Amino acid sequence: MQLTRANTAIVLDSTSDLVDARERHANMRLVPLYVLFDGESLRDHVDISPAVFYERLAAARNLPTTSQPTPGDFLACYEELAGAGFERIWSLHLTSKLSGTFESARRAAAELGGDRVRVVDTETVSLVVAMLAEAIDRRLETGTTDEEIDELVQRFKRVNRVVFTVATLEFLQKGGRIGKAQALAGSLLNVKPILTIEDGVVVPLGRVRGRQKALAEFARLFAEGTEDGEGLHLAIAHANAPEWVDVLTDMARKVRPQATLDLVEPLGAVVGTHTGPGAVGFFWFQD
Amino acid sequence: MIDLGTVRRLATAALANIERHRRRVNALNVYPVPDGDTGTNLEKTMQGIVAELERSTASTTPQLAADVQRAATMEAKGNSGVILSTIVRGMARVLGERERVDGEVLAEALRAGATSAYQAVKLPVEGTMLTVVREMAEEAELPEVRSLPVVDGLARVVARGDDAVSRTPELLDKLREAGVVDAGGAGLVELVRGVLHALTGEPLPEVPDVTEELTEESIHHEESEYRFCTVFVVEGEGLDLDSLRARLEPLGDSLLVTGDASIAKVHVHTDEPDGALAIGRAVGVVDAARVEIGDMRSQASEREQWLAQLHAAAQAPPTDVALVAVAQGGGNRELLRSVGAAIVIEGGQTMNPSVGQLLEGVTAVNADHVIVLPNNPNVRLAAENAANESTKDVRVIATASVPEGIVAAFAFDRETDVDANEAAMRRAIEDLSVGEIVRASRDATVDRVTAAEGEFLAMLDGRAFAADADLWVVLDALLDRFAADGRSLVLALRGEDAPAGEEIEARIEERGLEPDVKWGGQPHYPLLLSAE
Repeated sequence: MQLTRANTAIVLDSTSDLVDARERHANMRLVPLYVLFDGESLRDHVDISPAVFYERLAAARNLPTTSQPTPGDFLACYEELAGAGFERIWSLHLTSKLSGTFESARRAAAELGGDRVRVVDTETVSLVVAMLAEAIDRRLETGTTDEEIDELVQRFKRVNRVVFTVATLEFLQKGGRIGKAQALAGSLLNVKPILTIEDGVVVPLGRVRGRQKALAEFARLFAEGTEDGEGLHLAIAHANAPEWVDVLTDMARKVRPQATLDLVEPLGAVVGTHTGPGAVGFFWFQD
Repeated sequence: MIDLGTVRRLATAALANIERHRRRVNALNVYPVPDGDTGTNLEKTMQGIVAELERSTASTTPQLAADVQRAATMEAKGNSGVILSTIVRGMARVLGERERVDGEVLAEALRAGATSAYQAVKLPVEGTMLTVVREMAEEAELPEVRSLPVVDGLARVVARGDDAVSRTPELLDKLREAGVVDAGGAGLVELVRGVLHALTGEPLPEVPDVTEELTEESIHHEESEYRFCTVFVVEGEGLDLDSLRARLEPLGDSLLVTGDASIAKVHVHTDEPDGALAIGRAVGVVDAARVEIGDMRSQASEREQWLAQLHAAAQAPPTDVALVAVAQGGGNRELLRSVGAAIVIEGGQTMNPSVGQLLEGVTAVNADHVIVLPNNPNVRLAAENAANESTKDVRVIATASVPEGIVAAFAFDRETDVDANEAAMRRAIEDLSVGEIVRASRDATVDRVTAAEGEFLAMLDGRAFAADADLWVVLDALLDRFAADGRSLVLALRGEDAPAGEEIEARIEERGLEPDVKWGGQPHYPLLLSAE
């Protein structure tokens, strides 16, 4: 089957932080996860914007928790797309090792029946998943096949890179999402852990003291892991830490002048619950 | 006939009981990710099922079963909710085909629930909800239980469920280490217990106190900077535990407030036990006979603390290399420990540790190679003597101040060998600039800088640099120098008589430098600084 923008839809969950997916592309949808604040259940990016979330987080006595979309949430989205005539749905989700979202989507796909929906565990999280969606969309624009998309997804899993740091490991710890990065915890100094996602879990790459050294470490990893060219796509996401955007943009321009900066977005309430305020992520994908 | 009204009533009873237990179940949650939401997820999933049942118009048992199955799938929240939904689906599939429920059907339904739960999980782990539902099914399948009336059979199933939950720590290491039972399993039993009590009409047992399962022992493992362990009980009406917690929080740490609206148990480590009791008395009655105040500092003399430190270091897992440091000030010692020092010996400028004590520390650590950070010129010699005396390979990195020692220790990595560590630590402090601000104890001229008694004297890399009666003047002089030298990150350790941290941070930031200001607690030196 020849896949095009007219017959193929892309479904993301809200941890991809591509807030305006539907406005950007008529064939894209964003299904929200939930953030729970003192028993109140709010849809990520729908009922609570990042700005409101970080304000509320700063004043909160109890930290929020998060919850995956229900299979029903996904099913409603798939049914809407099927009803609108989309014959193929690529549903791209954050790593199943950190969330049950992928599982929820898989159940909804099974409930829908047939083979209309392809559910992908991207084994990573945040804007880099949105970058995969954009890469698929570029192929849909000229026409593609399931096999080509499948190849792209497999290559994406091998070559995409997430490098991030957090102001404190406390949020990753409280959310239980820290994995091997646990080893970095405990320091009372102003430490910036340098973290990545590998095989779907948070993995420490190192730790440095202070922002300047963190930036230098990002630059080193970026230079080591990439070659210059327009096919190199970048994104920056931050948890109420806009001060990082310019310094990271400048750094990227210096290290790889030809690269394309696809997206700069705030981290939504769900990812923000687990990183805490002050986190920043730098993503790249050589398409 | 299994009718809609009965199913609604039983589902609502299950929901009511998990609501009562939500907090306790959340507190137990350590597996699979310790995010404390298992109780909430089970509650939300059950709420969804009950809401679907309210909307249902099923008039036949198969229709009703189909509605329940769909509701369970669609409303599943979180990992535990998903497993619950598969159990409910499996059971509904069996019950939907039956006209009435007896012991046989109960056994078959529970088995179907257990099977579908195991199938839903890629890698079933024992010691979880799976184990509990399987054991409940096994109980129902016993010949003598099959033949019981369904209510009596269900009572046996709940009892077996309780037993299975209590044995989950034997099956799952994470639970045993945390000293808790499995949260999902505990929640599951409460759901079934809710159903049982709706059938018998008997009142439900009280919710166990959360503290029983959290164990105060685990709280006492954390070191506290506060002196008094304070425990008391408040009795009253309409107690708001959250607000009690919020009012007690500023007083100390290791705070635990448990109970309900009529009785609350408070546990807090604080320097103001009377203040904590007053907060309790403001909202209810505090029985003086049940107040426990323990002085945690008098519990261990200095010598005992030192022996405890040696013991802990000796018991630590073996490494190729361990770090021993010397520092004055409780904050500094904590900072050094937090960056990897196995032992921190009390000592510094005015209180030099003995060679014997250094040797004790070097001997105690569970490593053949030891790196020692003396953190003061006056301690260096003792450290070197201890190194010579020791049968271990001991390397002294002659750090001259605590911030220098902390920067060096930050480069320490217990996973790599001694040579790599020594090189990395020396490299980390190679280009470090160190500032010290001390109060002059008499009129003096040092390195052509004159300070009157009581004035602040700033030293830069061991040489007098500036003096003034105003601490800010000498600090500004140091910071200007750091900025002019192109430094970026300033670590400032506040000692006795130090000014507020915020003001120091602001002055560092003003110069485009990045601050890391911490409480060090050292005597004589209001501020110790390093700049990278």
